[in-house]
Amino acid sequence: MDRQLIARRLPRCPARQFVLWLLPWTALLAFGLYAAGLCLVKGLNQTNMDNRFAFGLWIFLDLTVIALGAGAFFTGFLVYILKLKELSAVIYSAVVIGFVCYSGAVAVLLVDVGQPLRAWFTFWYPNVHSMLTEVTFCITCYLTVLFIEYLPIILKNRKLRQVPSFLVFEFQLHKLIYVLAGAGTFLSFFHQGSLGGLYGVLRGRPFAFREGFAIWPSTFFLFIISAVAVGPAFILLTTWLVSKISQRRLVKPQVLDLLGRISGLLLSVYVLAKTVDTLIWINRTSPGSGFPAWQYYSWNPFGTWILFAEIVVFGLIPALILLIPRLRRRTGWLVSAALMACLGVALNRFVLTVQTLALPTLGFDQFVSYRPSWQETGTFLAVVAYGVLVYSFSFRYLQLFPQERALEAAPAAEAEPVEEEPVLVGRYSL
Amino acid sequence: MIGSLVFLGAFYAVLAVVAATVACAAIRSRRALAAQQVDEIRWHETFHELPPSERQCRHVATGEFRYRECPHAFDCRICETHTRLVARKPLILRDTPQEEIFGMSFPLDRFYHRGHTWVRPEPDGTVTIGLDELGRRVLSSPDRVELPPAGAGLRVNGTAWRVHQRNADVRLLSPVEGQVVEVGGPDWVLRVKPADGCPDLRHLLTPEEVRPWLLREMERLQLALSPAAAPTLADGGVLVDDIAANYPEADWDAVCGELFLQG
Repeated sequence: MDRQLIARRLPRCPARQFVLWLLPWTALLAFGLYAAGLCLVKGLNQTNMDNRFAFGLWIFLDLTVIALGAGAFFTGFLVYILKLKELSAVIYSAVVIGFVCYSGAVAVLLVDVGQPLRAWFTFWYPNVHSMLTEVTFCITCYLTVLFIEYLPIILKNRKLRQVPSFLVFEFQLHKLIYVLAGAGTFLSFFHQGSLGGLYGVLRGRPFAFREGFAIWPSTFFLFIISAVAVGPAFILLTTWLVSKISQRRLVKPQVLDLLGRISGLLLSVYVLAKTVDTLIWINRTSPGSGFPAWQYYSWNPFGTWILFAEIVVFGLIPALILLIPRLRRRTGWLVSAALMACLGVALNRFVLTVQTLALPTLGFDQFVSYRPSWQETGTFLAVVAYGVLVYSFSFRYLQLFPQERALEAAPAAEAEPVEEEPVLVGRYSL
Repeated sequence: MIGSLVFLGAFYAVLAVVAATVACAAIRSRRALAAQQVDEIRWHETFHELPPSERQCRHVATGEFRYRECPHAFDCRICETHTRLVARKPLILRDTPQEEIFGMSFPLDRFYHRGHTWVRPEPDGTVTIGLDELGRRVLSSPDRVELPPAGAGLRVNGTAWRVHQRNADVRLLSPVEGQVVEVGGPDWVLRVKPADGCPDLRHLLTPEEVRPWLLREMERLQLALSPAAAPTLADGGVLVDDIAANYPEADWDAVCGELFLQG
């Protein structure tokens, strides 16, 4: 039965080995669900968050996975709107990654906000002056879009497509996928931006507060650029990782190279924008609020090293590696740079979430440290386990990489063949 | 107030677009099902999932192109390049009754589909459809055969009949469109009344193309059966009669998928 669900000529590990792979992740998911259950039943007293530290590990996780999941909308935009056909080799994988990231983020938000039975209140009684309302609307809509984009991939399963109505619906839905890609791009641009804007409008937190354009602080734009920069890098990283674990060639090297190039280009734009933004903040915004910027970096462990690491180590250096063709062609450099870019965006979200809240603002404030409880960590790990499980099932039973089958038959360094004019050596002369 | 309306209006508009897209796909699906386009869609999907090496134009096998992927899902009836090439160098008809390749006999009184079925026009205006010799040797010991009933409709590249052998469930592709008149003849499987009286067979391989095509098919079979099959065929031997029995370790599902264009 297991074999009948796997597409022809896509070798996958034996069922027993697959079950062994799933076991630890399932155990982790079960542990995480228990931890999340405790939070839902007993309340947020199960966490180490309080009125001061209202944002903790979960919001950091949300912001990070949503940035990493941007590869889904951005790859969809490049493939279906800009017609960059080379990236269709990773589009299905990107959709699954996006779906996993966004559904994981929404699940954690449900635990974080609590009272999931009243989740609909946000749509029925929206506070239109809140960035969070915009974020909630966009994420919910985009998760719906991602689910609809995931549906044809599921219906392509070898067994499911034997059902005529599934086959036809998948075919017809795929023909309209560019509409969904456009909607996804619209929604993603806004919620990525609003998540950044959320911090930029915090006047009471001068460490995070930023000036900007019209109603949008600069963090609105920085979040968008950083997300589209690391999205392709995360797709690259996961493709390489899955290829290593499954010991299969999944895409042509040119695809990873292109992802790296796009990521490098956008990352360099982000580093430039972030540098300019930081300089304006140090020299104008922060002093204007009555706080010299150096003051924020006098609280351990948040020294200036963290700013240097964010902009140079995990920003400028991976951008340069990804922009230099000679380095990009070496898998080690390419993957390391992609990993550094992803770590960079995670660090950025950590700084905005945790450092912002830890630093004292008023004269009687104190520096506060925060350490997540085991329930928070367990819920965090459950999202990771959930992601691995969904992706593992998808990789085994769905065709996530359209080039995989062709690469199985082709020699490793096959040149891209090109169509030529007929040579007319004499028909049927063989 | 206006800002709120714009804000909420924009999101509900996007949601409406998404819902309309899904509804549109559902309506189109219903129409396609009513118009019995399932076979057409299945072949379209299958063809585009084939590796590029299996989507090769028929004129590659004859040496006219070094490399060319078929842009029309093997439907040469709508291919301008095919028409141009045939006009430039018309077919040379041979007087030999059949081709002998690796000990297999391929009669030249019929047209061959790349999914290893053939079609032969009969004097009474019907056509007969069968499995070619290579296909027969691959599916020589079927566990079960599912033939369509008389009166059933066939579509080009749709399912003509099914064969179950070992772990493989093979859909044999129909080379013509029409209505099944009779099943199970002496050397054919189906007798079909063509849909438009005189069937257009330009998408099928002509007798002159059989040899170069089969040489490529033998290569593909070797690769599917490899590594065990490679030395057997490379030394110019004769293909065994029951391939399945001689390759018990082969992934038969994959072999049949490869040879019968199952995707």
